[in-house]
Amino acid sequence: MSAPNASAAQIVVENAVVDYVTPSRTVRALDGATLRIPAGQRVGVVGESGSGKSTLGLLLGRLLPSLATATGAVDVAGSPVLELTPAAIARLRRSELAFIAQDAVGSLNPTLRIGRQLSLAMRPAKPAPGELVAMLERVRIRDPERVLRLFPHEISGGMAQRIAIAMAMHRAPRILVADEPTAALDTQVRDEVTRLVFELAREAGSTVLWLSHDLIAVAKWCDRIVVMYGGRVVEDGVAAEVIARPRHPYTAALAASLPARLAPGERLPAITGSPLVLTGPAAGCAFAPRCPFAAEQCSTVRPEPVIRESRGILCHRIDEIPALVAAGATSGETS
Amino acid sequence: MTGTVAPIPRATAAQAARRGLRRAATTLDPLATVAACVLLAMFAATILARLVGLGGSPTEIVGTRLAAPSLAFPLGTDSLGRSLVPRLLEGIGTTLLLSVIAVAITAVLASTAGIVAGYRGGRVNGTIMRVGDMLYAFPSIILAILVAAVVGPGQVAALASIVLVTVPLMTRLVAVSSRAVADRDFVAAAVISGVSTPRILVRHILRNVAGTIAVQGTYALSIAILVEGGLSFLGYGVQLPGSSLGLLIKEGTTYMVKAPWLIVAPGVVLVIAILCINVIGDSLRDRLEPRETRSLV
Amino acid sequence: MRLLLWLPGRLLGALVVLVGVSILIFAAVRSLPGGYADVILGSLSSPEARAALAEQYGLDKSIPEQYLLWVLSALRGDFGTSMVSQLPVTDEFASRLPLTLGLGVIAIALTVLIGIPLGVYTGTRSTGGRSSVLGRLVSSIGISVPEFVLASVIVFLFSRFALGLRVGNVVSPATDLAASIPTLILPGVVLAVFCIASTARTTRDAVLGVLVEPHVGAAVARGESKGFIIRHHVLRNASIPILTLVATLTAYLLGGAVIVETVFDVPGLGSYLVQALGRRDYAVIQSGVLLATVVFVVMSLLVDVLTGLIDPRVSVAKKGRWA
Repeated sequence: MSAPNASAAQIVVENAVVDYVTPSRTVRALDGATLRIPAGQRVGVVGESGSGKSTLGLLLGRLLPSLATATGAVDVAGSPVLELTPAAIARLRRSELAFIAQDAVGSLNPTLRIGRQLSLAMRPAKPAPGELVAMLERVRIRDPERVLRLFPHEISGGMAQRIAIAMAMHRAPRILVADEPTAALDTQVRDEVTRLVFELAREAGSTVLWLSHDLIAVAKWCDRIVVMYGGRVVEDGVAAEVIARPRHPYTAALAASLPARLAPGERLPAITGSPLVLTGPAAGCAFAPRCPFAAEQCSTVRPEPVIRESRGILCHRIDEIPALVAAGATSGETS
Repeated sequence: MTGTVAPIPRATAAQAARRGLRRAATTLDPLATVAACVLLAMFAATILARLVGLGGSPTEIVGTRLAAPSLAFPLGTDSLGRSLVPRLLEGIGTTLLLSVIAVAITAVLASTAGIVAGYRGGRVNGTIMRVGDMLYAFPSIILAILVAAVVGPGQVAALASIVLVTVPLMTRLVAVSSRAVADRDFVAAAVISGVSTPRILVRHILRNVAGTIAVQGTYALSIAILVEGGLSFLGYGVQLPGSSLGLLIKEGTTYMVKAPWLIVAPGVVLVIAILCINVIGDSLRDRLEPRETRSLV
Repeated sequence: MRLLLWLPGRLLGALVVLVGVSILIFAAVRSLPGGYADVILGSLSSPEARAALAEQYGLDKSIPEQYLLWVLSALRGDFGTSMVSQLPVTDEFASRLPLTLGLGVIAIALTVLIGIPLGVYTGTRSTGGRSSVLGRLVSSIGISVPEFVLASVIVFLFSRFALGLRVGNVVSPATDLAASIPTLILPGVVLAVFCIASTARTTRDAVLGVLVEPHVGAAVARGESKGFIIRHHVLRNASIPILTLVATLTAYLLGGAVIVETVFDVPGLGSYLVQALGRRDYAVIQSGVLLATVVFVVMSLLVDVLTGLIDPRVSVAKKGRWA
């Protein structure tokens, strides 16, 4: 299950670097991200805004805007994504990949009725009579005949997300990338939609990349968790274990900020400092400026991943931290 | 959390200054910078002509009639034997000055009407828009000629025509922008906290639609030059012995067979002036809404 | 269905504009200096002759009365009589309309056939590189060359050198359609240059605007081909500003391309209106401007209806606002 080095990986991302280049400045979104995912796994990718998780998701389908430059190796279902011709990448997106975005209403064409969009998405196949209705029933939309005649601005966000899911799943994609698909929804709808995605993915046997900052949902639905910070993977292991016993200081800080963890009346701790914006390769560990355990090497030497308890961890001081915590010496030794 | 946190690297003053410079340099792209320089050169030349008589006198008869370009008269002479260079410089000045004044008037009128219409919405907006539609529906050159016929041909007619032709579109676009700003939360916050309406209109709305006004003002300037040119060309605008680009082109067409150089110089200058203004307008607009770089296709 | 909700309002607005313009033009024409009598009878004419003329054209009545009479007869299709030719204004217009219409059809056809595809092409291909700068420059030149400059140059070139097409001796499409086309093609092309360039620019902007919408990104992520996305997810969405512009250009062309008709010596509506202004031919000026306005208003209504059909969001009521 928790296999950072599993063979026969379906998704391989090797030292991926992505820069967004604008005339005024360059922002580095991925700073050498490395990740291998075997077929069928359900992976929760977590991190704050700007951690690079969305960029990682888009990179798998080479869906980055034209101002982005990407280097490194990205292999999806045996295809070198960054080297494919435009026609080949379109074929890969069509046959292997599916994406669900946060802005579900936006992902629908505002000028076309739902039914028309669904049948366009099925091209070149023509929908059999009743097939569109069946598609909507599969994502548990009530009164599908009526919904097929509506325009996107006439439906709710939750309904739009179900339609987006129906479009994404009707080809039974091998890989499903869902970028915070429930972030804009009400709590109750959120749970229903999450359940729907994972159930349909299980039926289709799809690998799921669930990009989220909802640690609870990740713990509940995913086999594996990948924690990202500063455009790199900082911790990677079995979801339930990592969330229960985080090793990386950043994961620990994220987990500590879970409201469910708190005793009644206790204040929610914040992660001190603000998330960084990289403009080039980080000199050392990107988390060092906010890390309570940071030492001198942390801000000067780039850490390499190490394996502890069958997790991949990106931290210079991973073996010293338990002792430091035990000694209660949480104050910085940056001097 | 008690840990001391290493300071997040801040840009030094020198870096900030460098970034400021870079931003200033990238405010106009290279093409627009060239365009701005060309326009400035035109302004400089016409001002020099007026102040120190660069190129000679525009009214003095100096040579034979319709003489071809020569060393003495680099652009040739016109039908009365006046050198074309000073007449062209005077024409550039008249055309640009008229257009700039007219667009300034348009900008004031259209901004006021547009902001009020966009902010108040409802019946006020409807009334202002209908009045704009009436002017917009009027065929523009006929409108200009009508104005010239009523007030008499000349610079005032050209000025009034330009304002009447350019006001409706600018008002409409400013109103649309203002409406979008008026719907935003900070305006609601200002209303709730009791800020007076004129203050909201100026501090919040005007400031946020200034970009639209700048872009539309630039485009209006190019339309202004076109209207002045067309009106003078038809004989209803600037009158002899004055000079404007449209008037010079009209003269040029009369003698096109004998002296084609008479139309070439003012024609080229006119096209270049309008082109430069449009290029600057495009550049300003691209800066306000940069979309190309976000495209996936 | 939705159309019925807002159409009455738009029709009312159009009516208000028409009434406004009719009052405006009527007032403007009456305030023209140098009265009709000077132009028609000469400045030395006797007071009796002037009074007779005024009576003949109903100009001795009060201004509001004249306005009402004009509007009422216009509603019956009677636009009055030209004081210059003594012919009904409708006949005068009818004999000139085919020429203006012919020029308009040529210019609009070229605009739709060249301008829109050009805009789609540059809009879907611009990557901020050299080609996009070049495209911008070329279309900018197109909208920067004034009609009177281009028309004069073309007239000069084609009358000076034998280039296949002649200038002048225009044949009306009403008399001989086949013979009229070669005589109208040059002024038509001159009119088309600005229309093509502005349509290409608007189309490019509209396409670029749609391309960054998230639904296009979603279609790309589904692996749709570029052509498919452009056909099904871009063109329809981008069509509203293009339609609006083409309608405005059409109204402008039908209102009379004054400068091009004057330079190319085409006896169409535009040059006729300018002549009428010079001769203070009241009925002709009033009716001509009113007709041009009607064309404009009808075009705007047409665009409104099409817009409502293309984008269902347009007719949705705006949310409540402060103040």
